[in-house]
Amino acid sequence: MTRGLWTRETVVVILIAAYLPLALFWLWYGGISDVQRFALALLVIAAWQLVFLLARAQPISLSAVITALGIAMLTPEELGAFRLILGISFGTVMGELVFGGWGRNVVNPATVTLAFLGFGFPAFAWPEILVPVAWAAIPAAVIGMMAGVMPAGVILGAILGATGAIGFGILPGAVLPAAGVVLVLLVADPVTSASTSLGRWLNGLLYSALIVLFATGWGGAAPVQIAVAAALLASLAAPFLDELALAHWYAQRRRRHGRY
Amino acid sequence: MVPAYPALDEAQDVEDITTEEAGLRPQTGTAPRVAILVEDGDLVAQGAPVAHHSKQPDICFVAPMPGRVARIDLMSGHRLSEIVIFREDGGDHVIHDTADAQTEVGLRRLMQRTGFWPRIGRRPFGGMPDASERPTAIFISASDTRPHAPDPRRALEGHEDAFRRGCRALSWLTDGPLILCQAPGPVLVDTKDAPRLRVVTTGPRHPQAAAGLLIHSEFPADIATPVWDLAAEDVAALGTLLETGCLPQERLVHVGGSALKTGRLVRTQIGADLRALTFRHVKPGPHRLWSGSPLDGHPARWLGPRDRQVTAFAPDAKAGAPHWLVAALTRSARPKPMIPTAALDQAFAGRLPSAAFLRALSSGDDETALNMGILSLLEEDVALADYVLGAEMQLAILLRDMLERIKTEFAA
Repeated sequence: MTRGLWTRETVVVILIAAYLPLALFWLWYGGISDVQRFALALLVIAAWQLVFLLARAQPISLSAVITALGIAMLTPEELGAFRLILGISFGTVMGELVFGGWGRNVVNPATVTLAFLGFGFPAFAWPEILVPVAWAAIPAAVIGMMAGVMPAGVILGAILGATGAIGFGILPGAVLPAAGVVLVLLVADPVTSASTSLGRWLNGLLYSALIVLFATGWGGAAPVQIAVAAALLASLAAPFLDELALAHWYAQRRRRHGRY
Repeated sequence: MVPAYPALDEAQDVEDITTEEAGLRPQTGTAPRVAILVEDGDLVAQGAPVAHHSKQPDICFVAPMPGRVARIDLMSGHRLSEIVIFREDGGDHVIHDTADAQTEVGLRRLMQRTGFWPRIGRRPFGGMPDASERPTAIFISASDTRPHAPDPRRALEGHEDAFRRGCRALSWLTDGPLILCQAPGPVLVDTKDAPRLRVVTTGPRHPQAAAGLLIHSEFPADIATPVWDLAAEDVAALGTLLETGCLPQERLVHVGGSALKTGRLVRTQIGADLRALTFRHVKPGPHRLWSGSPLDGHPARWLGPRDRQVTAFAPDAKAGAPHWLVAALTRSARPKPMIPTAALDQAFAGRLPSAAFLRALSSGDDETALNMGILSLLEEDVALADYVLGAEMQLAILLRDMLERIKTEFAA
């Protein structure tokens, strides 16, 4: 049989290509410490992948680059190497590798890492997302959606929700850059977001609704913290949203055909 | 998202070829028990029965051309593998009596005795239908979106009346709708001719006209409600049979593939010798021949009763054994997980929740797959998804295993 190319690693490579504008702008405005953090995250994830390759025969994946980028861009500042290594190890092992590697995980490993670090060490400040970097999330999302590797429903649903919230004046503009970058980096992940088309829209809407909820009701939270918390809850709810969408699809079919 | 195959110089006109040898074989993936009616060396006329189904003696397998029986290949239990026939010039055609074909029983018997029955596909589970099966709907595919498939409209040129007659006759076999799937354009049949005929317009991209996906969304098949599907060209052949008493054995076939110098359209008989069809047209060197499209075909020597394409592949580049470390890095834990992308949604034309369906399929969750309508699908309908995912998941095998499991469960 002739073969198509949409295997796991192709999807990863296209995703990396989509993230390039975001990564370049982040590095342009960042410093050498950002590069160090990225390299450290990559090294730790690669080491854990090697451990699982040898112990569990789990194939390694370039998805480490995406996870490392997400962690390096959004992790709390000045944590120090030890805490960072601890958090990344927890996130990649418990969030991804124990499930069988990228593609079988239920939550994004970067989201788990960030939640662990952010809520485990609350004394450290969350990073500021610069506005030019946030703008670079737009081409990243466009490339990802055009290539079909980012779920368009999630991104468009989130934009729809955010537009509605801004229209009603309940979404402060300060969280928008962080929410946008987190949307592209963590929420619009083809694996851990919802996989049915209705579920994807619901997933995006839920993410923006959580952002609004946290932005208005969570005093003293940093924008990135709000976005990461929303991303974590939205991805945990994704299977449920898929079930809702499937139930709707079954009901539609039953109405149309009298049976499944 | 559209799989691209190396383009070939296409010869535009249709060549008529009757190959010197032809192989009579059952539908792909089936091996019915048969009783053989001829012996090696017998002369047979075109359309003369050479074997019949052992339990349902009306269902005949007929010679696709006048000739001499060369070899009869049966598997254990008198299961039909293939019957090879050498062509003899100046042979006869069998003319059937069509006088009682105006009733359902007569039409059924005519379709079975003339060897038309093996051209019918059925869902669920595939294969040809039982002699007495009454479908709840009949799908007629007048559009074929598989890569390099011949245009069914072209196959119907000059046979419009016969097609109309065939549609009318088919409507006697079912109480349900007759669903004609066709590409956008003028409707092929006036709905006055067949009152229960419904026209479904399909898109131009594969798998928008895949029979299984259309059945899944328009009229799902189930154990108690089987659905038949037929190619428009075969319906026209049925119309000709009703008019003349002689079932045409020719069909429009596209011969293509990466091992050919030129692709071409030929009109040839069912069971045609694939080597004869590609002879002088293949590039030098070894090649593999498939009956069927590059997506859902299978290696064969003879053209299958439901196939309309021949594909010649250049052999795979000989890859040596990879380094043990590379193998460990890339080949462990197969199959690799499936990532839900837009390409995967397109591979089911957006008619199925693709990721959830593939998850049910690969984890062997029969109940969910049943709810999602797996009984409408066959291997050919998941072929594109398998291609898109790099053929890592072997979806066709998974689907067949699941269908067999469901079949035994419901038979018990």
